[in-house]
Amino acid sequence: MITSISILVDEATYDITPDGMKLRAMDPSRVAMVDFEWPKTVFDEYACDAPTKMCLNITELLKLLKRAGKDEAVELSLDEKTGRLQVTISGKYTRTFNMPTLEAAEEEVPTPKLAFNAKIKATTQGLREAIEDAALVSDHVRIEVDPEKLVLHATGDLMGANIELKKGSDALLDLEVKETVKATFSLSYLNEIIKTAAATSDIATLEFSTDMPIKLDFQQPKEGKLTFYLAPRIEVE
Amino acid sequence: MVQTVKKGFIAGKDNLWIFDLLDDGAVRADLGGSDVLRTRASRDALCVVCKGSRMLCGKSRCPVVVRVNQFFRTAPLLSEEVDGASPPSVFVGRIGYPYVYAGPMVPPVHEDTSFYDLPELWFGKAIDEIVGFRSMLVRGKYRVHVRRFEEAGKIMDLTRELALAVEPTDVELGLTRKPRGFLVLDDDVQPFGPSAPIRDLRVGNAKWDHQVEKAYYDTDLRAADAVRELFTKGVLVTKIQRAFSVGAFGLGADRRLVLTRWSITAVDSILSNDLMGKIKTFPLINEFRVYESTYLENQFEVLMLPDAWSYEAIEAWYPGTVWNPSGKSIVMFGDWEGYDGRTTYADIGGCYYAARLAVCELLMKERRQARVIVLREARPGYIMPVGVWQVRENVRNAMRQQPLKYNTLEEALKRVQSQFHIPIKQWINKSELIKNALYQQKITKYMRAKVP
Repeated sequence: MITSISILVDEATYDITPDGMKLRAMDPSRVAMVDFEWPKTVFDEYACDAPTKMCLNITELLKLLKRAGKDEAVELSLDEKTGRLQVTISGKYTRTFNMPTLEAAEEEVPTPKLAFNAKIKATTQGLREAIEDAALVSDHVRIEVDPEKLVLHATGDLMGANIELKKGSDALLDLEVKETVKATFSLSYLNEIIKTAAATSDIATLEFSTDMPIKLDFQQPKEGKLTFYLAPRIEVE
Repeated sequence: MVQTVKKGFIAGKDNLWIFDLLDDGAVRADLGGSDVLRTRASRDALCVVCKGSRMLCGKSRCPVVVRVNQFFRTAPLLSEEVDGASPPSVFVGRIGYPYVYAGPMVPPVHEDTSFYDLPELWFGKAIDEIVGFRSMLVRGKYRVHVRRFEEAGKIMDLTRELALAVEPTDVELGLTRKPRGFLVLDDDVQPFGPSAPIRDLRVGNAKWDHQVEKAYYDTDLRAADAVRELFTKGVLVTKIQRAFSVGAFGLGADRRLVLTRWSITAVDSILSNDLMGKIKTFPLINEFRVYESTYLENQFEVLMLPDAWSYEAIEAWYPGTVWNPSGKSIVMFGDWEGYDGRTTYADIGGCYYAARLAVCELLMKERRQARVIVLREARPGYIMPVGVWQVRENVRNAMRQQPLKYNTLEEALKRVQSQFHIPIKQWINKSELIKNALYQQKITKYMRAKVP
């Protein structure tokens, strides 16, 4: 989960409330956005008395979290006096790390206001492979959806690729299309987003309209939410 | 004709026409037939057919003529004993790696030679002048293993001492034979003086740079950290690179000689990587900028866009220039990196890193962030490669100018178009970052009002 965030941002501000934690952030070039929520039910234990913000260096946090093995419990606690986050990993033995928090960004990031003409439900794994196929030949891909199928179309300097996910195939679970839509997106962003999301999610929902941003929602095991928005590439001749 | 695997070479004695290229009749009479300059050319090389007279290669002047004339200006001063003031300068060659030839470079003169090996001072000098003083530098060669240089003995120790000196240092270079030049007629190597193996070496009192000396004695300081620290303290890139190449930095046991050509790019890369990390924390520039500089028929147009850090360098070579000798059309090479940097060596080589350092220096000074695209046109008048320093100093010169500022990318591109010979469309086509800036939308665009 934290890995998914780290592909877009190095530093991020978490909104922490008695109900859970949230994060919304854009990558440095403001092309993509991640919208993440973990309600308190996701955690084994969750305690927060008053809403607060916590800005962390995600890259550093990730280093610590990677030390936790499969069956080990991780406890995160923020000491507001010292401004440090304590990371306790307990399993075979107990390790306690602490790391500084950073000055929280005041800027509230709104979500894009979008109306979608197509909605696709697919397996994350199937999408991931389709995107990896396209990435072999180009660095951007045109996604087209009509009532029958989803088509990925990539054209590189030398090679081209055409990937079809038909209605009823194993990878494509559902297709709701108001009108045929197509838009082009950067494969480096798509690839990174789907690759990391695949670690926590089996089913993805894509929504977009012609030459508009795409919304990628990755269904989480519990009640968590992991959604990405990615702006399109519009080639004008 | 299909080129055979084993090239046919013509030995030096068959290339006597070289001597006819000399402007100075007296030198020609003296040296005709002597062994001081060895040449080699493949049998079908253009130079052998052209003999400096017909401009078959398409360059505006014959590089062989330039080089040979400068070379023979020093030739009469050469003997087995070279006694002069080294700028200081050392060279670690690439042939035979890991058993390389290392050694000092010494001109046979006692004067202020400091600028002979200090590219920071060369910007604006004509190509003849640069070839001239480079040809003065006699290179002593000493065979040494790059890792076992500590045990290589006195000659290697003195070479290292010399490399760390701050000012020209008297050197007596004893050679096993009279130094001779070597000119590969169909290759484009840097202008270079004559060389010979070292028999004996004496170095006068060398005054060391205090900062460099400290890094040298600190065997717990990693090489990259030493490079960064010295740069922050204002030591010139060339001096850092020179010390780097003689294995003066790094953890004690890991020290090694680094080929001169590798050390240049290593230092450019280490320094710009470090600056990039800092630049990413700065606010974006407020406008579209164009910086320009032209030197040695190399024209640079540097675009800066108000966007997160990313970098691209593209160079276009006209037919007849160094890296496009026989082509009929312009050749363009380029490479780029995104916000997170790169882990592989850039396709276009050392120039990529040299220009990256120059642009990072400016952004660091202004404490600003930008997307940077360095465009370079190398014209037919650029008759021989003079080294990566040309790119670094040329772009640094561009950075010293007041930038042209624009409100839109289109206006900035229009300016670039007016300066370049190659149509802007071709540049855009080649440039990932310009295409990205033109076509990739921002997510912020969709946040304000609901778009139908």
